[in-house]
Amino acid sequence: MFIHLLAALLLVQNPTQRTIAIDERLAEDAHIAIGDKVFVASAPGSKAGDTVIVSALIKRGADPAEIARSEYRVRMHLDQLQDLVGYGDRVDRFAVATRNPAATESALAAINSSAFGFQAHRSRDIAVGTSKTFQVVSRFHKAIGFITIVASAIFLLCIMLLKVEERRRDVAALRLMGISRFTVVTAVVMEAALLAVVGSVMGIAISWLASHFINWYYQGVYRTPLYFSLITTPIVTLAVVLSLVLGIGAGLLASLRLARTPPISLFGR
Amino acid sequence: MMRFELAWSSLRRHATRTILATLGVAVAAAMLLDMVMMSTGMRESFRELLLSRGFQVRLAPKGTLPFDTDATIENTSRIVTLLRTNPQIVTISPVLGGTIQIQVGNRIVTSAALGIDPLVQGDYELLSGKDPVADDAIVGNDDFIRAAGARIGDTLTVASGYDAQLRTFASERRLVLTGRVRFLYGATNQLATAMRLATLQAMSGPERTDDASLFMIKVRDEAQVETAREWMERAIPSVSAISTSTALAQVDQRLSYFRQLAVILGSVSLFVGFLLVTTLVTVSVNERIGEITVMRALGVSRAHVVQQIVLEAIALMLAGSIAGLGLGLATAHYLNAILSSFPGLPTAINFFLFQPKSAWTALGLLALSGIAAGIYPSFRAASLPIATTLRQEAIA
Repeated sequence: MFIHLLAALLLVQNPTQRTIAIDERLAEDAHIAIGDKVFVASAPGSKAGDTVIVSALIKRGADPAEIARSEYRVRMHLDQLQDLVGYGDRVDRFAVATRNPAATESALAAINSSAFGFQAHRSRDIAVGTSKTFQVVSRFHKAIGFITIVASAIFLLCIMLLKVEERRRDVAALRLMGISRFTVVTAVVMEAALLAVVGSVMGIAISWLASHFINWYYQGVYRTPLYFSLITTPIVTLAVVLSLVLGIGAGLLASLRLARTPPISLFGR
Repeated sequence: MMRFELAWSSLRRHATRTILATLGVAVAAAMLLDMVMMSTGMRESFRELLLSRGFQVRLAPKGTLPFDTDATIENTSRIVTLLRTNPQIVTISPVLGGTIQIQVGNRIVTSAALGIDPLVQGDYELLSGKDPVADDAIVGNDDFIRAAGARIGDTLTVASGYDAQLRTFASERRLVLTGRVRFLYGATNQLATAMRLATLQAMSGPERTDDASLFMIKVRDEAQVETAREWMERAIPSVSAISTSTALAQVDQRLSYFRQLAVILGSVSLFVGFLLVTTLVTVSVNERIGEITVMRALGVSRAHVVQQIVLEAIALMLAGSIAGLGLGLATAHYLNAILSSFPGLPTAINFFLFQPKSAWTALGLLALSGIAAGIYPSFRAASLPIATTLRQEAIA
């Protein structure tokens, strides 16, 4: 539950004052430091509150569900918060630790068979439920990624075809000198593969830089330690394999076409 | 006319190359259209939703957005009385949010509930039946009616919580389902109901007997909205008065990631299209150096050569763009279906809203990009030294 923190630094020291931990973003924005006294209330402008000492700053967790939320978080003692918001002896949830997976199952069964008005869930089930926002974003990224791959593939195919087409006269000369079709095709394919490898390496370097920039920028914008862009081995492998397949494929197609054409025709005569 | 014919025959000469380039531009154009739609669509869609019932200002608990937290505004009656003193305010619609439970056989159906004033509410549209004008009336959306297995006219036993110690439902009431509604701000598959504000306040316990989560305000004169908003924020310190523009700014901030993604991907698409056409036209010009020089030697002007090559680039861009328009609409539909499944997002929000302006913007950008793509190769072709080039071509 959120507490509206009314910024009021008090001068009178009270020996019974309790402590709270506040969001580091709140500390930064409201210029509050550890040891400062603040007045907390459950409603804006309310006089019914408590003066507490800020004893710790808490860092925002890397929770995808919280990225777009800008609210501050405050951590208080349970009874302190219950008193403040008139919640009585109620809580929103319990976290229960068990000894082993079997104990988790039996605890779930025992609680759910006797519970009324509440339910026990496995932590991993809750994690799946709360990360649904991120799953949607992930699906969206995959769809965008697919479109980008199609566009890149066509682009790469076009460039490779043009690159090989430019070699018409070279290929004609080689053929007239007695170089076999196989050698010509192999040479062109190797050139295409080399281009694809060099392009892939450059692409990985650019994406590495871009990834660092994206993480730096969005971690700053959303004030979160969450990573927005990660370059993983499967992603690098996919990119390299795709560019190699497309590059070699385009090179092979174009070189076969050239190798089949009579050298004189390639000279344009 | 001759320029068009020459450009067309040049493109036809390498049909495979032209088709591939058109396809490449089509994918880039589709992506560009999608990104232009996304950058403006969600904002426009949200604006339309906010203004759909004519409420220009929302009052939410201080420092929060409507229904962003469980916080409520106290002393609703006093606030309504105060708001009525402002002659600019014509309609005040207080809303309280809550949760209700209904036992259906052995299972419990939990649904969102809104406490509203049925005469001025702006949260739902009635599909069949009647508004919940009586204290014991309730209306629900299709998901709720289906889950509760109820029909209009049925009486439901509705609770607003549990008493775990006594193992009973709290604040049980018997309410008559009077109507079937569609909630404007409802999320996909969300079970939702509405009843009179006083009914939900009474069911929510003694601490909420005069609470509301939100006030929706209609201001008489559109030009006075900001003045009225400032007055409300001054007069009621416990609330944040949020105008449509403020709400849009908040949404912009929350969804800035998607807007920035749209700008980045849109720019990349445009650049890829530009690069593809530039490369293609440059190679095409290199292959036709002899032809172009002969034309120049025959007296064809530099301007004519430039126009012909730029026309080639524009033709490639436009052909790709037209194909990309259909592809873009199809992919936008698919991408919108993905993003619509965001938890809690109102069904009415479209991330990819098609507006003719979006299509024209994308088409205009691509046409400009086509012109830019033709500039370098056309300049190169037009500035070829005629005699030297002819000699080199003859030797080659």
